Amino acid sequence: MHLSSSYILSLTTFVYLGATAIYLLYWIFRLEKVGILGTVVTVAGFVMQTAGIALRWRESYLMGYGHAPLSNLYESLVFFSWVTVLVYLVVEFKTKNRVIGAFATPFACLAMAYASFSPNVQDAIQPLIPALQSNWLLAHVITCFLGYASFAVACGFGIMYLIRGDGRGSSYLLDALPSRRTLDELMHQTIIFGFLWLTVGIITGAVWANQAWGTYWSWDPKETWSLITWFVYATALHARFVRGWAGKKIAYLSIIGFVSVIFTYFGVNFLLSGLHSYGSS
Amino acid sequence: MKTKRVHSESNIVVRFFSSVKLAIFLFIILALTSIIGTVLPQGESLQFYLEKYGPFYFKIIRTLHLYDTYHAWWYLALMGLFSVNLIVCTIKRLPYTLRLFRRNYLEMGRNDLLRRPFKAQWETAQKTNPVDLQSRLVKTFSGLAGKPEARENVDGGKLYLSDRGKWSYWGVYLIHVSVLVIFAGAILGSFTGFKGRIMLLEGESTDHAVQMDSHGNIKKIPLGFALRCDKFEVDFYPTGAPKLFKSDLAIIDKGKEVVKKSILVNSPLTYKGITFYQSSYQSVPDLKIRIVSSDGKQKVLDLSAFDKGLWPEKKLMVGIIKYLPNVHGAPAARVYVGDPSGSNGDAVWLLEGHDREVSLGDNSFRLSLVSAKEKYMTGLQVKKDPGVWIVWLGCTMMVIGFAIVFWVGHRRLWLWMGKDGEKLHVILAGQTNKNKVSFEREFERVKEAIDKQIGEK
Repeated sequence: MHLSSSYILSLTTFVYLGATAIYLLYWIFRLEKVGILGTVVTVAGFVMQTAGIALRWRESYLMGYGHAPLSNLYESLVFFSWVTVLVYLVVEFKTKNRVIGAFATPFACLAMAYASFSPNVQDAIQPLIPALQSNWLLAHVITCFLGYASFAVACGFGIMYLIRGDGRGSSYLLDALPSRRTLDELMHQTIIFGFLWLTVGIITGAVWANQAWGTYWSWDPKETWSLITWFVYATALHARFVRGWAGKKIAYLSIIGFVSVIFTYFGVNFLLSGLHSYGSS
Repeated sequence: MKTKRVHSESNIVVRFFSSVKLAIFLFIILALTSIIGTVLPQGESLQFYLEKYGPFYFKIIRTLHLYDTYHAWWYLALMGLFSVNLIVCTIKRLPYTLRLFRRNYLEMGRNDLLRRPFKAQWETAQKTNPVDLQSRLVKTFSGLAGKPEARENVDGGKLYLSDRGKWSYWGVYLIHVSVLVIFAGAILGSFTGFKGRIMLLEGESTDHAVQMDSHGNIKKIPLGFALRCDKFEVDFYPTGAPKLFKSDLAIIDKGKEVVKKSILVNSPLTYKGITFYQSSYQSVPDLKIRIVSSDGKQKVLDLSAFDKGLWPEKKLMVGIIKYLPNVHGAPAARVYVGDPSGSNGDAVWLLEGHDREVSLGDNSFRLSLVSAKEKYMTGLQVKKDPGVWIVWLGCTMMVIGFAIVFWVGHRRLWLWMGKDGEKLHVILAGQTNKNKVSFEREFERVKEAIDKQIGEK
């Protein structure tokens, strides 16, 4: 079999699936060696995926198109998965807590599975249509997906927070999760980080639209949904300052926010029509 | 501090507009109502909504302006309320932030230090020379935490403070103000700018753009100069996907050609604040028709689609009714031939390479389609928006604000040293308002360094 980028990338689905399973085992049995194995497998998957992306970039040059692999749904899913793993690895390095991996790697695995095996997603390398021939493409896609990936990880934290419950119940499994205070802090930090990149993503999109069409904001469904997502996370960030709203409500908001991200990402392409149609095939 | 707060909150109006709860309420309402315009088609004719949704929903759609949700009075009112909330909140928080900003964090006693979230203390053995050790510790502290401020006579010792990132309290203000700046830019743009379209054939020029309002009326907007399209180019990939749309444009101002530029989809042309964007194209046929009269005279007419040409000498008019680029491998056109009033004439098909005789009264003419070329018409989006730079300024402020809020914390590290009898008592304390994890690491580094100094007797 010819070693194409999409073949290598489809294999990372299984590596991330393995990583998820190992992190879950680590959560249950709490053996340090299993945890380290989880990290090793995740890093291996990440390296493989990086190589796959680089190879795809090269392939596009060999085909004479020559553009960064960030131009259609398949490539954006691969990139989303890649950034999610990157953000998670940074969080793991900073917090030294590997249980989080059981809540972050599934997002990377699902994105890759959808990209590689869904009949709705075509993995062919396509040339860039005139509207996409801009340096803003890179800036816009990278920043948006840094935001999306951070929100995926924040959603993982939200789920962990809710699983941990009100802190009164204590069990073997729950005790392995970071404390509620730590989770709250991590959630807040990840949301600010994601919010920063979502904002930069919206702005680079506006600058680009202004350059291509002469309108920085045209209320196209994708733009509007990114604004809706922005409002949801703005709510989450301000909820901290209202008495009694911290913690659980913010955990719910981080999950609702990610649902809104998912809708901005897929729902708009499949259910609504607009200027962003190139993201849908 | 307490009394002041109660006083300012006594005004119920201020309290309403300044509450974070109102902000959250507005975020949620704006998020929910924004969904409407992404689900309901926007900008269609009223007739469309009546037919599609029936009279009941039509009434709601018309009253609430849901056919143009984001410019509806209630949506703009929500945005206005949001701005007022933002302004009042910001002003109200100002004194509080100023107090945080101006507070002197050297005004602390020994016991205050021990109540900080991060702290460590040491007592040295008697052998040490305290003066020497003190100066070594200060050097270590400044080396790691930056040059400190100092205050003498604090509970019998000297207090050092490294106070960094205090200015980061203003990051949030930068974000809040930036939202208002963006609104201001958008409002300015919508009142002083315009948007229009231009369709130009290759070789043609115009001095105005065309704007269509919501009722379908066409309005001409003068540009103040002329724009000419010299050439339009389109190119496709082997897959059939478009690869390139390009117009060679020239600007003629006061009769002089001042600018020449090729524009692409992502590379527009701006002149005197007006920007021209490549947005669409049409292909228009350009036909050459030769007419030979029965008396042997002949004339060649150069016509594009729906165009008509005259041969005044023979009182003859030729007009293109229809053009087909490929009929059995050759271009064909249906043309009207007759007198200019249109009262006496005939419509015939001309196929390239085949002559056609037409008799009109006493005269007869032989017509032939000499050549048919595709000529392009470029579609340009025209825009003037003086507010756009203010919007970009707001965006820049917002991003800088977020970067400050995320990365810069107010980090304080205190070092207190005092003699406790013969022994030297050392306290290290720390506090930060964000990024506790990385601050803890820094605190541990300073702690270890002090540990090491005190250990070296």
